[in-house]
Amino acid sequence: MDAVTYPDEKIIAFVQENFIPLQIAHDAIPLSRDFNIKWTPTLITLGIDGREHHRSVGFLNPEDFISSALLGMGKFHFDNDRYQEALSLFENLISRHPGSDYVAEAIFLRGVSLYKHSGDRLFLKEVYETLSSQHPDSEWTKRASPYRLL
Amino acid sequence: MANFIAWEKDMSKARKLARARNLPILLFFHNPG
Repeated sequence: MDAVTYPDEKIIAFVQENFIPLQIAHDAIPLSRDFNIKWTPTLITLGIDGREHHRSVGFLNPEDFISSALLGMGKFHFDNDRYQEALSLFENLISRHPGSDYVAEAIFLRGVSLYKHSGDRLFLKEVYETLSSQHPDSEWTKRASPYRLL
Repeated sequence: MANFIAWEKDMSKARKLARARNLPILLFFHNPG
């Protein structure tokens, strides 16, 4: 990460604009114990209250780093019931990084956000239809499978 | 524009900054060795 991803100009600008970046050694007690760190690199999106919203373990190239970070930012808002803000971030990930491994989860959470915001269950059915056609082998398609009955 | 990420090193300071700027924290556990 230090050699490839973090020196990238896009990553520097993205991180500085969207996060408070905090670097901690993997064996620094008590944080490594509190967060149950077993391997590096581990990246965690934390809320202002210290609550964990998203975690990634292992190397991320710049493209995957941004995709993972967008998902983490979206989950930060989703977990705090800010569905409009979450939607914007999930949409950003889905439209600008369509080949990312994180897209299926973003499609799932986008649909749930739309449902939570509107109360319209058709958004959940749409989640399953989109995932089953675009990501048939994803775990998120399996998680959405009950929505096909709506 | 900065040419490196200005990582904070202290959780308490990071949380104060997060509150002040209303931003999430990106917590990076690394192996400095």
